Amino acid sequence: MSFAAKSHVWDGTATIRLTGELAAKSAGQFNRVIADVSAQDPHRLVLLLDELTYLSSAGLRSLVYAHQRLGRGVEIVLVGAQPEVAETIRLTGFDRSVVMQEPTGA
Amino acid sequence: MTTAKSTVDDIGARVAEVVRSLAARAALTRAQAYRLRLAADEIATNIVLHGYGGEGEVGLCGGVAEDHVWLRTEDSAPPFDPRDHDPSPVLTADPATRAPGGLGVHLALAAVDELRYEQVAGLNHTTLVVYRDA
Repeated sequence: MSFAAKSHVWDGTATIRLTGELAAKSAGQFNRVIADVSAQDPHRLVLLLDELTYLSSAGLRSLVYAHQRLGRGVEIVLVGAQPEVAETIRLTGFDRSVVMQEPTGA
Repeated sequence: MTTAKSTVDDIGARVAEVVRSLAARAALTRAQAYRLRLAADEIATNIVLHGYGGEGEVGLCGGVAEDHVWLRTEDSAPPFDPRDHDPSPVLTADPATRAPGGLGVHLALAAVDELRYEQVAGLNHTTLVVYRDA
């Protein structure tokens, strides 16, 4: 049930790598990282999800929080979601408000 | 059956442990185990958060049948049948601005092959079923 969120902001893009399980217990931790990066006024938020192994509705609510903190003009890109995590995002319609990308290897 | 007073911070771990055991016994695929865990996590978290208001006793039990795996939550919160939940208001709302809440029960219903509910001796019994060959 471990979770980690490591972030950096460079050239207007905030990148957060999520590792482990994002659920009710860990959502608050993720929200604090979102608040930290939003203070630097990024114009794009990239979430690296290839090491995120579990996502529940509590974690999805953090995406709503990210939209609200960053503002509607900020693009949110989800990269490399594992199949089950991607399905959870699609089942709740969040794929309509974010860009979902396969990992580029870059 | 394991019964314990739970909060939103620990119910997820209890659910994960029960699902891990069932998945091993039934040789569920990763996707099947994930769906069962997600549904059980959402139902159990909903009970603790909304049924009890943050803390309360939740029973968890499960079993393996020839063609399916089941997991049941038991609680004494006010009666709530997840099948009555209408997800359309939350699903039609703009995801970027939608109000929190309502997603968990929708996910639970979507994740499993069957969701059964009944009241037994004043307790809510919510049973989640995943078919082994699905």
